[in-house]
Order: sequence, then structure tokens, then C-alpha cells
Amino acid sequence: MSQWLIQSAWLIPCYPLIGMLLSIIWFPAITRRTGPRPAGYVNAITTFIAFLHGLLALFALLNQPPLYLSVSWLQVADLNLVLPLEISALTIGATVLITGLNLLAQIYGVGYLEMDWGWARFYSMLAFFEAGMCALVLFNSLFFSYLILEILTLGTYLLIGIWFNQSLVVTGARDAFLTKRVGDLFLLMGVLAIYPLAHTWDYDGLARWAETAEVNPALITLVGLALLAGPMGKCAQFPLHLWLDEAMEGPLPSTILRNSVVVATGAWVLVKLQPVLALSPVVLATTIAIGAVTAIGGTLIAIAQIDVKRSLSYLVSAYMGIVFIAVGSQQTEAGLLLVLTHALAMAALVASCGSIVLNNITQDLTQLGGLWSRRPITGLSFVIGALGLIALPPLGGFWAILKLADGLWATRPALVGLLLVINALTAFSITRTFGLIFAGDVKPMTVRSPENLWAITLPMTILAGLVLHVPMILQSVDLLPDWATLNKDVALLLTWSSIFGVSLSAVLYIGNVVKKPIQLPWKPLQDLFAYDFYTPTLYRSSVVGSVDIVSRITDWIDRYIVDGLVNLVGITSLFGGEALKYGNSGQTQSYVLTIAIGLILTALWMSWSFLSHLTLTAQLISYITGS
Amino acid sequence: MLSLLIWLPILGAAIIGFLPASVPTRQIRNGALTISGVALLWTIWLLLRFDLSEAGFQFREYLPWIETLGLNYELAMDGLALVLVVLNSLLTWITLLSSSKQTERPRLFYSMILLVSGGVAGAFLAQNLLLFFLFYELELVPFYLLISIWGGAKRGYAAIKFLIYTAMSGALILAGFLGLIWLTGAADFSYQSAMGQTLPIGLQTLLLGVLLVGFGIKMPLVPFHTWLPDTYVESSAPITILLGGVLAKLGAYGVIRFGLGLFPEAWSNLSPVLATWAAVSILYGAMAAIRPKDIKRMVAYSSIGHMGYILLGAAALTPLALVGAISQMVAHGLILAILFHLVGVIEQKVGSRELDVLNGLLNPIRGLASISSLLILGAMASAGIPGLAGFIAEFLIFQGSYSVFPIQTLMAVVGTGLTAVYFVILLNRTCFGKLDTATAYYPRVVFEDRFPALILAGLIVFLGVQPTWLVRWTEASSSAMIATVPIAAEQRLAATPSITLTD
Repeated sequence: MSQWLIQSAWLIPCYPLIGMLLSIIWFPAITRRTGPRPAGYVNAITTFIAFLHGLLALFALLNQPPLYLSVSWLQVADLNLVLPLEISALTIGATVLITGLNLLAQIYGVGYLEMDWGWARFYSMLAFFEAGMCALVLFNSLFFSYLILEILTLGTYLLIGIWFNQSLVVTGARDAFLTKRVGDLFLLMGVLAIYPLAHTWDYDGLARWAETAEVNPALITLVGLALLAGPMGKCAQFPLHLWLDEAMEGPLPSTILRNSVVVATGAWVLVKLQPVLALSPVVLATTIAIGAVTAIGGTLIAIAQIDVKRSLSYLVSAYMGIVFIAVGSQQTEAGLLLVLTHALAMAALVASCGSIVLNNITQDLTQLGGLWSRRPITGLSFVIGALGLIALPPLGGFWAILKLADGLWATRPALVGLLLVINALTAFSITRTFGLIFAGDVKPMTVRSPENLWAITLPMTILAGLVLHVPMILQSVDLLPDWATLNKDVALLLTWSSIFGVSLSAVLYIGNVVKKPIQLPWKPLQDLFAYDFYTPTLYRSSVVGSVDIVSRITDWIDRYIVDGLVNLVGITSLFGGEALKYGNSGQTQSYVLTIAIGLILTALWMSWSFLSHLTLTAQLISYITGS
Repeated sequence: MLSLLIWLPILGAAIIGFLPASVPTRQIRNGALTISGVALLWTIWLLLRFDLSEAGFQFREYLPWIETLGLNYELAMDGLALVLVVLNSLLTWITLLSSSKQTERPRLFYSMILLVSGGVAGAFLAQNLLLFFLFYELELVPFYLLISIWGGAKRGYAAIKFLIYTAMSGALILAGFLGLIWLTGAADFSYQSAMGQTLPIGLQTLLLGVLLVGFGIKMPLVPFHTWLPDTYVESSAPITILLGGVLAKLGAYGVIRFGLGLFPEAWSNLSPVLATWAAVSILYGAMAAIRPKDIKRMVAYSSIGHMGYILLGAAALTPLALVGAISQMVAHGLILAILFHLVGVIEQKVGSRELDVLNGLLNPIRGLASISSLLILGAMASAGIPGLAGFIAEFLIFQGSYSVFPIQTLMAVVGTGLTAVYFVILLNRTCFGKLDTATAYYPRVVFEDRFPALILAGLIVFLGVQPTWLVRWTEASSSAMIATVPIAAEQRLAATPSITLTD
């Protein structure tokens, strides 16, 4: 039985795929009678099956070596594309995380989208993401990772665009698609360029090749940077971070998934690519630099947001930035650990924010407040999520960041300092959000605020429970350091940075000492953070602007130069311009005739000497000329 | 066996053309569908009989005709011709399905379509240069009529423009062929005898240039493309499917069969120029597609860019890239057909193709939800999203050409990014957004509107997920064709490591 579960683990992405296809039946355009709700239930069932299969296979795999399967996908000319599957405790564990979070998000969606008619589309897209992400972790090849990332880019476009009749949603979906596509295309360039060098796309093969590779440093730097761009887009790193902010226009249950695991797809590929990236020190330094800028910038921006979802989404960028730092400094294990703890903690945070947003009908932090006594369960879930995120013992985030900081302590102390700052800022930001929602005075929007129905509350509390259990899970798979090897200096520093951030923020936002809204002393600086470093404007005046201008120029050239010139040369000389444009009467026939005759004459003239060689024409000519 | 593909539609065209006026339109349409359906089934049967391991020409047919002119009735097909013949048969059938049941002057309309289908099949199968030319010119007049009678408001202008360009293209091709035979002193116009020519390289290049311009007009490639937007936009939806799906492929087929096939040496000398030309074409087409406000014009411009990929694949002279180029012809034919069909349905139901007028069509109650969903699929296939047929063709081209022309390939990759830009503009403005419920009283979308698109969508997804079925037919032929470029092949093998490793 257990062997069968492992052998058939490739089925895990197939279950949600089936659910996705089945949901099509309940599209309002196809089935009206039942309403779209059955699509949600069907998908919850298929997701549950996938989760169960993954969980059982995981237990079976814990004391077994990984299983490698391969399927030939395409063989053409000298290119042989084999799809390699890696079924190991790590990959199956990742699918369990994905399907589990997805199941909770789907149940959450039942409550959250109670009145929505887009169920079938929504659930099929959630299932699409689930299938894609499960496949991504199982497929052990750069080429197939690229394939799936690109397909998921399309999924992002459709999932953000669920409520497509709102204009902000439409632009958000567009920007998400194009930003991610930019990353994907650079990744494609990297995929194309790495093959002639390594002659393989398998991650294992790439790692083996990277051990002994002797390549031109300039070339491998370019390739590495291109490969880096794909994860940058997915993980919403500067300067490709804007989409995650705009994606917050989409429905909240999908945000649970997006902020926790979808962004992590990029991190997964980054971790897998680490041996290749390590071939060029420039690429590693760039990875760290991008991660550092995003982490610092993201936390600063998060503090300046008044939209609760956006504030959380910038923290997601920041945490992915820390993963980038981890990979750049070759601490991939710490990076993966961070992905896990961040996913669960962030899911709990988003779920509890959603629980607030849903029945207070606002996500504006300035209109919320004083909810602690009214919403104790949500409040507790939020607190647990927050504690699981930042580096405060004993929950998960602490151990992940500790592992990273410990690895950096001896070699790059500056990065440890950076981590302390990021952690303090995150703690500050998350406490600020807590304070603005749960502390302070009751606002008009929060006067009546009961806890939600079970479909919302249950997934939220389960997520909080999972966050609480992360240390035990880590303990059971020997990922926690024991007391003897624990780097106590780093642990203390991290703890103090969290305490510093939390308490400073608590004084400002929970205590009633400072008058709200709190302003930075210098307004332009506050605006710089609040408006996301003016990135949208920057985009508009750079990339978008230049494409716009070039397309205008092309259009003009096409209209007046290419077409005009051809019309001038080709047509005017033959028939005299204007007549032709209106020549849809009997005149056209005469044009056709002219052309046909001209054609024949040309043909005869061109072939004259040839024709005269041929016997028949020679006879004809001699006959005519009488010789 | 092959003759049936040509003469069945042409015979059908004759029968339908001379039916009495009392026969109702619906029956004429069904008759045409039957004829083209039989041709399609016959094509599929040929597909099953086709020997994949054989790189050369199969199903050869020979009938002496005007031997003194060197013109004989010679037909045969290899992998390249096979997939294009299948595409032709399929898209003819789809075109007929997509045509309105209330078409005016149905006898002329349907007989012209069948005539085009037979003529195009003949051109793909012809093994004699003059015979190819005859079939190539044969579809000119039916197309002229199809555009000028059933087209849009400016159809006269569009039809004449199409005619002039295509006639130019024909004249250049004829000139190229005659020049080739005359200079080599071959006994007849058969493809085989023209193939082994050993002309001085200068003459080869000259003749190749003439043919490239000739076929480049038909494909079309920048800067010979300006007939295309006008013609496509003014033609009715079924005709656009034929124009974009089949006729454009005739140009691409000519470039590969007669450009690369007959002048391998000159081709390999010119290949850097061709690759650059392809890259420019791709970027130009994509950039030009961003501005228009008419969705049909946007799709038409997308076609220009996509033709560039074919040229890039052919220019790279690696088997992989050539297989990719041929697959791109098929994929592009299917994708363009679904896009033009759906744009036609939208135009018919909503009454507009303007981006500023269309909005929120994805609305499930009052909009065109199923049509919009299929439009998203088609547009994404065209933008090269994996899992759909367009991606694998483009990927094979890129992978095959990267080691030879890295810069041009990367430019082409940028081109796919720009393709996504204009398709997202198109989708955002038509499918997304708020439907104006005050004016949205559209006719119901019936099953017949969806059916052709569903078939095409099924094929696009199937070939995207199982690309083996797209590439297997052409692999042997492509490798054989590349093998005729001996010098180039050696150079490439020697050059590949140095390009990628030392630079």
C-alpha cells in the first residue's frame, strides 16, 4: 500500500486538475439550474483527496530514499525532453503544504464568497494553481519549472481578474501578468542559454555540471542574471514587486494562497537553481542586493500603508527578500525553512485580516480599531500569525531566521545586522497593523462586529493552530538546533530586535500616547513610502512610456512611410493613386485585366530566351518566320 | 491518391457553382461541407499512411503534360507538405463551418472557397515549379472575388491592394523560377532537376533574393506587409481564416521549399541577414499591433510578427529550428483561425470591433462568456503561453536558433513579450471591464458559433500538451533538408561550441 502511494504520487497534481475541469460544468454560461456552488464543493473534495494522498505518501516516505521517475515528453531532432519527477519527503511535504493551505483557502472561500456568482471560475483557478504548484515541486527540471511558472502567470492574470468589472482589478490583472511575464521571459532566455552549456535542464544534472563547469565568467553572469529574473518576478522583488500590491484587488481567499505559497514558487526555483547561480559571484551578490533592498524597502513601505491587505503583501515581498538573501549567501536550507514558516504564518495573518475585512466592510486601517474585545478569536489568530512570522521564540519564524543568521554570523556579520533591522521593522509593522485593528477606540465601521460563520473561522483557527505546531513539526524532523549548538548570541540579538520592534510599535499604536494618524516628521519621506517609492510613476515614465512611444512611432511609420511608399511606388506609377482607392466599381475589372496581361507579358519576356530553346517554340518561331 | 485532394474540391466547386438558383443556401453550405469533409477525411487517411521514417517524397504521382515546356503533372509530399495539406483541409472545413448560413450569392461563395482549397493543396503538393506557379496563381482570382464581394466597407480598395501585391509576388516567383531553369539549362521544371543546381554563388543569391521578396510579400514579411492589415480587416471572418491560416502559409512554404530547398548554399550565406530580418519583422509586427483600436487589425498585425518566427527558424539551419518553424506554421494557422473566428462572432453579435466600444464581454448573463473564454485561450496561445500549441513551436525555434544567432533569438523572445502586451490590451478592453447593461442586448450565441472554435481550441490544447503529434511528421524531412546544406552544417557544428563557450 505505502509503496503504491509513493509510486502514484504523480497523481497529486492530477486531482485538482480534474476538479478544475469539472468546475467548468458549473460555469453560469453552461449550467444555470444548480447555481455555481457545486463547483466549490467538488474542488474541495478533489483537493482533500490530493492532500490525503500526499499526507499518506509523506509518512510512507519518511524512512525511504527518494523515488525518481521519468516520462518522455518530446523527442525531436537532437532535443530529448524527459520529464523527471522527484518523489521525496521534501517534494511531497511541499505538496502537502500546498494542498493543505489550498483546502483551507477553499473552505474559507465558501464563507467569504457567499454571495458571489463567480464560484466556478474562482474555484477552477484555485485548483489550477494548486495543480501547477504541486507539479512545480514534483518536476525536477528547469525547463518544466519554466513551463509551469509561465502557465501560472496566466493563472495569476485570471485569478486576479475574477471581479473583472472593476477597473482597478482590470489594471491589477494586467500589471501582474505583464510584470510576471517580464520575469518569465528573462527566465526563458536563461533556459535557452543554459542548455548549450550544460546540455541538461535537470536540476540534479545542472548541479553536477556546475561543480566542474568551466565557463566564461561574463557569459555565466548574464545567464545567471536572466535565471534570477524569473524568481524575482514571482517573489515580487524590486523592481518587479508592484504586481503583488495590485493583486490585492482580487478576492481574499486567493490572497491566502498567493501570499503564502504562490510567491514561494519563485523561491523554490531559486533554491533549485542555487548551484548554477553560485557559478558567478556577481549573480550571488546581486541576489543578496535585490533581497536586501526588497526586504528593507518592503518593510518600510508596509509600515506606511493604510490598506491592511497591502501592508501584509509588502511584508510578503520582504520575507521573500530574506529568502533571496539566504540563497545568495548559499544558505538554501534556511531559505526553504523560512518559506515554510512564512507560508503558514502569513496564511494565518491573511485569514484573520479577511475575517475582519469581511464584516467590517473596509480594509482601510484608519477606519478600524477597538476590535479586541469584539473579535477575540480573530485577534488571537492574528497574534499567533504575527508571532510565527517574526523572530521571537519559540515559534517557527524564529528558528528559520536564526538558522540563516547563524550561518551568516561567521562569514558576513553585516548581513546579520541587516536581518536584525529587517526583523525589527517587520515586528514594528505587524504590531502596527494589530494595534490599528484591535486596539484604540471603536470607529463607526467597527461598532457592530461579530465573529464570522464557521467556514471563515474554522480555517483561520486551524491555520493559527498549525503555526503553533511548527516548532514541534520541526523538532520531529530534526530541524531544530539543540541547546549545545545553539548560537546564543544571535538568538538573543534576534529576540531583542523583535522585542524592540514590537514594543516601540506598541507604544505608538496600542498605547494612547501619540495622536493618530502618526506622521513622519518629514512629509515627503512618508509619501515616498506610502506611494511605494513612486514605482508606478517610475514604470509609467520608463518601460511603459518607451513601449508606448515606440509603438506610436511604429504605427506612424507603418501608416505613412511603409504603406505610403509602397502605395506611391507600386500603385501610383501603375494607375494613378486616388482612383484606385475608390475603384470598387466596374473599373476594377479593367485593373485585373491590365494586371493579368502585364503578368503574362512579363512572364513571356522573362522566359523568352528559355522558351526559344524549347523544341516546340523553336518550331513555332521557324514556322512563323518561314525559315 | 494526392490528386483527389486537389480535384475533389475543384470538382465540387464546379458542381456547386452550376447548381440551379432554386437550391437553398443551407443545402449549398451543407454540400460544400460534405465535399470538404471528405477531403479532410482523405487527408487524415493519408496522414495515417504516411511513412514517418522516410525523409523523401512519398505518394508520388506523375503524368506527362506539356513536356515541351517542361511542365508536367508531378505531385508528391514530404513531411513539410503533409502538415500543410492537413492544415489546409482542416481550415477549409472550419472556414465553411464558420460561414454564415445566410451568405449572399452562396453558390459563388462556396465554390470559390472550394476552388481556393484545391488550388492551395495543389501548390503544396506540386513537384514541378511551373505547376506550383499555376496553382499559386489559381487562388488569386477566387480570393480577389471573395474579398471584393463579401468584404467590409472598403473591400474594393482592399481587394485591389491584395491583388496587386499578390500579382507582384507571382511575377517575382515566376521570374525566379524561369531564371533558375534558364541559367542551369535544366531539361524541365521539375523540382528534382532544379534541386542539384550548381550555379555560381552570386547568381544563386540573386535568384534567392527574387524568390524571397516574392514569397515575402505573400507571408508577409516587413516591409512587404501593408496589404495584409487592410485585406484581413476588410474580408469577412471565414475568408480571413483562409487568408491567414492557409494562404500566408503558402508564402512560408515557398520560402522553405524553394528558398532553402533550392539554394542551400546562398541561403546559408544569407542566413545572418535573414535572421536579422526575421527579428526585425517580429518586433515591428508586435509594435505595430499595440496601437490599433480595431481588434481584427490587432490580430492581423499579430500575424506579421508570427511569420517572423518561421523565417528565424528557417534561417538558423538546424533541424530543431526547422521543425519548430514548420510547427509554427501549423500552430499559427490554428491560432489565427480561432482568433479570427471569434472576432467574427463578436462582430456579428455585438456589432463592433472597436476597443473603445467593447467591454465586459466575459459577463456570464448578458455578455458572450463562452466566446470570451475561448478568445482568452486563443490570445494566450498566440502570446506563447506553454501548454498551448504556439509555445512549443516558438520554443523549438528559439532553442534551435539560439546557438547560431543568439542576439536575434533574444530579440525574438522580446517579441513574444510584446505579443503578450497587445493581447492583454485586447483582452482587458474586450473581455474584462464593465458591461454596459443598458445597451447589451446581444443575440444569443448558439452552438454553431462555438463549434469551430471548440474544435480549434481542442487541437491547440492537445498539440500543446502532446507536442509529439505536432513535430513527428516533419522531423525526418527537416533533417534531410538541413543535410543538403553540407558546408553550413559543418560550420555550425564547429562554430557552436566557440560561440557559446568562449564568448
